Amino acid sequence: MRRSRGLALLLPAVVALTVLFVLPQILMFEVSLGRRSAHGGVVHEWSGANYVRAAEPLYAQIFGRSLVLALATTLICLAVGYPMAYWLARRVPRRWRGALLVLVILPFWTSFLVRMYAWMFILRRDGVLNAALSAIGLPGLDLLYTDAGVLLGQVYGELPFMILPLYVSLERLDQTVLDAAADLGASPAAVFRRVVLPMTAPGALAGSLLVFVPSLGAYLAPDLLGGARTAYIGNLVQTQFAVARDIPFGAALSFVLLLLVAATLVLARRPLPGASSAGGQQ
Amino acid sequence: MTRVLAVLVYLFLYAPLLVLVAFSFNSGRLASSWDGITFAWYARALADERLQASLRNSLLVALATTAIATAIGTAAAMGLRARRGGRAGWDAFLALPILVPEVVVGASLVLLFAAAGLRLGMTTVVLAHVGFSISYATLVVAARAATLDPALADAATDLGASPLRAFFHVSLPALAPGILAAALLVFALSIDDYVVTSFVAGVGATTLPVHIYSMVKSGVSPAINAVSTLLLAATTLLLVAAWALERGARIRAAAVPAILGLAILAAPFAASKPAASTDRVLNVYIWSNYIAPETIRKFEQRHRVRVNLDLYDTNEAMLAKVQSGNVDYDVLCPSNYAIQSLVAQGLLRPLDRSALPHFANVDPAFLGRDHDPANRFSVPYFWGTTGIAYRRSKVGTVDSWAALWDPRHRGRVLMLDDTREAFGAALKRMGRSLNTTDPAVLALAQEMLLAQKPLVRAYNSSNFEDVLLSGDVWLAQGWNGQFARAIEQDPDIAYVIPKEGSSLFLDSLVIPAKAPHPELAHAFIDFTLEAEVAAEIAATMRYSTTNAAATALLPLALRANPAIFPPADALARTELIEDVGDATPLYDRLWTEVKSR
Repeated sequence: MRRSRGLALLLPAVVALTVLFVLPQILMFEVSLGRRSAHGGVVHEWSGANYVRAAEPLYAQIFGRSLVLALATTLICLAVGYPMAYWLARRVPRRWRGALLVLVILPFWTSFLVRMYAWMFILRRDGVLNAALSAIGLPGLDLLYTDAGVLLGQVYGELPFMILPLYVSLERLDQTVLDAAADLGASPAAVFRRVVLPMTAPGALAGSLLVFVPSLGAYLAPDLLGGARTAYIGNLVQTQFAVARDIPFGAALSFVLLLLVAATLVLARRPLPGASSAGGQQ
Repeated sequence: MTRVLAVLVYLFLYAPLLVLVAFSFNSGRLASSWDGITFAWYARALADERLQASLRNSLLVALATTAIATAIGTAAAMGLRARRGGRAGWDAFLALPILVPEVVVGASLVLLFAAAGLRLGMTTVVLAHVGFSISYATLVVAARAATLDPALADAATDLGASPLRAFFHVSLPALAPGILAAALLVFALSIDDYVVTSFVAGVGATTLPVHIYSMVKSGVSPAINAVSTLLLAATTLLLVAAWALERGARIRAAAVPAILGLAILAAPFAASKPAASTDRVLNVYIWSNYIAPETIRKFEQRHRVRVNLDLYDTNEAMLAKVQSGNVDYDVLCPSNYAIQSLVAQGLLRPLDRSALPHFANVDPAFLGRDHDPANRFSVPYFWGTTGIAYRRSKVGTVDSWAALWDPRHRGRVLMLDDTREAFGAALKRMGRSLNTTDPAVLALAQEMLLAQKPLVRAYNSSNFEDVLLSGDVWLAQGWNGQFARAIEQDPDIAYVIPKEGSSLFLDSLVIPAKAPHPELAHAFIDFTLEAEVAAEIAATMRYSTTNAAATALLPLALRANPAIFPPADALARTELIEDVGDATPLYDRLWTEVKSR
């Protein structure tokens, strides 16, 4: 009775996700086996040609570049986000914690696009950053439409997704455990390295996944801050669908991207962010 | 030390917002200077009907998505809970969509909707948003449910409550904070989504992010800053209210910020026009920077209709959307070679000349061209040239495409993000026709474009003149009308049609075969053919009109402007881009390779 009620409650979600998520991926896979017609339609004659093409060095290198972007974004977010989360969870007086955490999330209630646009405003040649630099007598920087600009935008967009799960796991740390370690003679550094770090590793992993995976498919930051100059896999997929009219090739690229994500999850040996990390996204 | 870092992080997170808020009050248009305080951008944003319509759409989509996804997610979380043991597989299935990149979600949903024969519109946007938010809603509610003691609901049923009663009186109140958090998260995800929406939004379903994207692409306007500041204020107020409630403040104390926040969000609904005028709609899909909103408004008022205006930057993007077959546009503005492609696919509707009394205003020089010999399908709208605009103070005088390959200009070159135009520049530089289908010649052109890439700062075919004006690049390939406007703002900029020759474009209005409102479409085309209207369009957009009657009405300064009406010897060097038929996939592929390198 209980089990069947559980199933009935799960049914709407299962139906919705099957139709809106599983089915489209199956369609995508079928289309990826076809080829484009002269005008850009799909010819459903199956072959693996699009996958062979996706493996050409040219495109393999784009996948590589996206991996590097995702990795760099994750590492920077981890390096900045960990101390930030530590400060929030363990240094700030309890009564300020909620407000300061809300302050981290607040910018994410403004449109991501608007914030990317604001960065364009800041980074452009005659923008705010260069005005500030020249005011203190420093030479201007050319960051807009460069790879550095893309990385900056990506870090900006993903940082809170690193901070929140880390905050959750750091806040849960039992102070008595840390005190016990100290009482047993561990130096503060040793406490951090041998107690705090291992205990917050799941939070760091969850945060890293939440940053790494979307960065792998990054689209807006390269498009707006990169000046559409350097191709990342997300842009390549979008271009195949929306401009080059090679839907089968775009579908194959999407599918490979999906496999990359799956491989990342397997490598992380924790197939999914559990309820704890998901709760951290609120 | 961590405190210093924290301050820096907050500075990093808030810098763009501070800049937005500050510059929403700046009377200057560019970020370089502070020209005094103004509220003009707010006035403009509040008067912008398209912006308000997009905000309305976004709120409707977000509300519908929140209701549906939160309900489904809550049910699923309860279902997971009821199953207790052995739920790892379910957890995985329900969470997997979170980890699929947005681009993949959007692309695959387009295929689904096409296969199901669903027209792209508000429904498809809501479906897509529900698809990607269910997982978030489920996880958030499930996290809250995990903290509940299952014995509570069991106790209620043991005491004789029906399962439904136990749910509504025991479990639901306990879950409420989780459900509220889930709803807020889904709302935020939905209202902010651009990538997925851009794939599945059809006519009349332009959401705020899609509109802002086209604003960002078609030119920098501080009106965006004003809108963003208002949205930021609204969300801050709502968060303050939620926070106050959570801290146990009285309802009345939280009501003030909550009502203020909701009032800002509700403003576009209050300002909405009477429903009578929205009964008839016309869906226009046209180049960015090709018609002014004021001109559209005149048509709307005269015919008591609402015009949905969608913009594109390249013929290829327009073709991709139209060929997908599930969008309902009434009027398009393809270039000549795209018309050939559309006609070949049977996608255009023959025009009814009797419904176009002002057709006689068209300059006969633009009629009967190869792409449509009897003008059965198309009415010329604008013509123009592709050339190079450059900063004289930085690069001296330019007369050749070679300047775009000059290593001295490394990082200061902008190229059109357009297959045929980019290849056109390379082919002309080689002294070839820009309509070649010879694979060997095209391979050489591709090599040239690859050799040029290290010098190129950006590929852009929407607001390329802004990138030149802001000083980020010194040389830009682009279309003459937008450069003519840039030259008026900054006399240091000059425009030239290179000596090797360049491309000429002739863009025309056409009606798709499946247009839902062909009568209105004819009325719109005839409206643009009226001498005064065509003159207004040409004067505001600065492209060259194909309307002989309008040319006579243009100010002398425009008619004498060589950037808009080039001298005959320069025109003699230009060549129309033609449809290359079976070589199209080759062009598309070679261009993809250039962009990928």
